[in-house]
Amino acid sequence: MVAETKADWIVSGSGWARAWLNRLAPFLGLVLVILVFAILIGEPEKYLSLKNLRTVLAQTVIVAIGAIGMTAIIISGGIDLSVGSAIALTGVITALGINAGWSATMAISVGILVGGFVGVVNGMAITRLRVVPFIATLGMLGVARGVAKGIAGSQTVNMPETWANDLLLTVPKQSWMLVAPGVWIAIALAFLAAVVLRRTVFGRRLFALGSNEAAARACGIATDRLKIYIYGLAGLLFGLAGVMQMSRLRQGDPTVAMGLELDIIAAVVIGGGSLSGGEGSILGSMIGALIMAFLRNGCQQVGWPNYIQEIIIGALIVFAVAIDRWRHARLSAA
Amino acid sequence: MRKIILIGLSLLLLAGVNCSRSNSKNSKKLTIAVIPKGTSHEFWKSIHAGAIKAARELSSPGAEVEVIWKGPLREDDREQQIQVVEGFASQGVSGIVLAPLDNRALVRPVEEAKTAGVPTVIIDSALESQSIVSFVATDNRKGGMLGADRLGELLGGKGKVILLRYAEGSASTEEREAGFLQEMKQKYPNVELISTDQYAGATRDTAKRASENLLNRFGDDVQGIFCPNESTTAGMLSALQDAGKAGKVMFVGFDATQMFVDAMKAKQLHGIVVQNPFNMGYVGVKTIVESLRGKTVEKRIDTGVTMITPDNLDAKDSQALLHPPLDEYLK
Repeated sequence: MVAETKADWIVSGSGWARAWLNRLAPFLGLVLVILVFAILIGEPEKYLSLKNLRTVLAQTVIVAIGAIGMTAIIISGGIDLSVGSAIALTGVITALGINAGWSATMAISVGILVGGFVGVVNGMAITRLRVVPFIATLGMLGVARGVAKGIAGSQTVNMPETWANDLLLTVPKQSWMLVAPGVWIAIALAFLAAVVLRRTVFGRRLFALGSNEAAARACGIATDRLKIYIYGLAGLLFGLAGVMQMSRLRQGDPTVAMGLELDIIAAVVIGGGSLSGGEGSILGSMIGALIMAFLRNGCQQVGWPNYIQEIIIGALIVFAVAIDRWRHARLSAA
Repeated sequence: MRKIILIGLSLLLLAGVNCSRSNSKNSKKLTIAVIPKGTSHEFWKSIHAGAIKAARELSSPGAEVEVIWKGPLREDDREQQIQVVEGFASQGVSGIVLAPLDNRALVRPVEEAKTAGVPTVIIDSALESQSIVSFVATDNRKGGMLGADRLGELLGGKGKVILLRYAEGSASTEEREAGFLQEMKQKYPNVELISTDQYAGATRDTAKRASENLLNRFGDDVQGIFCPNESTTAGMLSALQDAGKAGKVMFVGFDATQMFVDAMKAKQLHGIVVQNPFNMGYVGVKTIVESLRGKTVEKRIDTGVTMITPDNLDAKDSQALLHPPLDEYLK
């Protein structure tokens, strides 16, 4: 049962070649976006220079780490609207910790754990209080933002310089790293999450839960406990995203990342995730995040005004999902 | 596959509409990126016009100055503004004129831009960095003090006063708020400050909500109000109008729009502290261009504040500040 659901998710095509093509589709979309902008800008060597790639990758990290957690939640049939607020909250807490004289390692750990705690509270509200995820996390969006502003005293929290500030340095201090340390962390986490989702019992249960919750429960999966785990684990990732945000701003800012949850959800959806659950892939979500970052960077360098960027990204989300639906309809008809 | 084709087509379509600009590689040509905090306030339009005026004046055949105007994608979002600065730095513009949303958060991208060979002039709000060419801005503390003087005078030195703050972490408005409070406490000790800790948030809408809440609570007592920028003044003004209290409470605001001028004529607003954003945009671009052309420039340039009241509203100087020649420079 569970295995079947998973097979259906990957691709129900005829051969491995087609399977690979399907898996590569979002990747080709990314390449196309990059190519189009390289041509439009007229100076491809500048757009594709190491300098610009470093910039775009560092800019993608926060959305990418958030999207790893969001992918898991969306696969399980849930949604989390409180990510932006959780990022602000954990960033503020980490900054306050460093200010209080904790070591950066300690402060960052606490920040990440607070993110996990926020996730667990979301999970509890969804399972114990029987509030649908949309509403439960909508509530948390307000609560976490308010707490962040409260503990920060409605001010940004400035902090002394530590290595935490260097996590997303566009040009890393150790030149052998090539890109910001945070980029490597995001890549490692994405790899880990992809393995967990595809190769472990936990991952399979997650897909089962999102495909058909009643059937998953009937098969003996403790769905409530599983949901709390998912929101908690995703929360840890959102906490890390908050630490990254703090590192970029070099301060805890309680007003940052407003509306960022929408970018993160968009990344997952562009990458093939389905809001009705049971579908999604880490690789797809990462590419979704990169597509948006390259689009933004490209639009700016071509000299297009902001409203055009917003229109393109908005249209892209609808296109990506429409094409996905269309492919599904064709597959189920065949 | 079709997903890709469709994305590609839509992008190409947009490209066609916009017809890509030619990037001349002339070494004498200067490209200056001007980055405001947002683009919807009229204040920023004046800065934009001033920047374009400077670009036109400083251009000569073979040594053009081009201004690229771009605000953060989400207004008042530091992360988004950082991304714009980083984008211009890696694109390799000649110089940046930036109104930073935060005095600390923008330090790293500005310093990284400098390392990459792109210098920055800061306008409007301070940045805590030594790596900038110059800081071109209003003396905000003085602006707040002018507001306190006017309100204290209107109230005859006694009464109950509300200060509605703008948003957390904005250096320029914090300076104005501090200047207002300092002057009020020193010069008018009999004025009672009944609320000074409420923040209005970034937009007129949030400011109106905050104002309504304040008026519900203090509406019967309050005799004087000060707001430190355009959105807070506009929000408070429309809240006062809705509550039928406009004109009954002494009200001093900051920045200028047509709405405020009308309100002053109707005696609903009793004074506005006016900056000179047109001059700020003009001097900002002029300073970075002069610096790039090898001249030495001042480290701090004040662009001036003025108190406009219903009495001096029609004076020539006031009119020049209230109606900068936007149409001439912005199509």
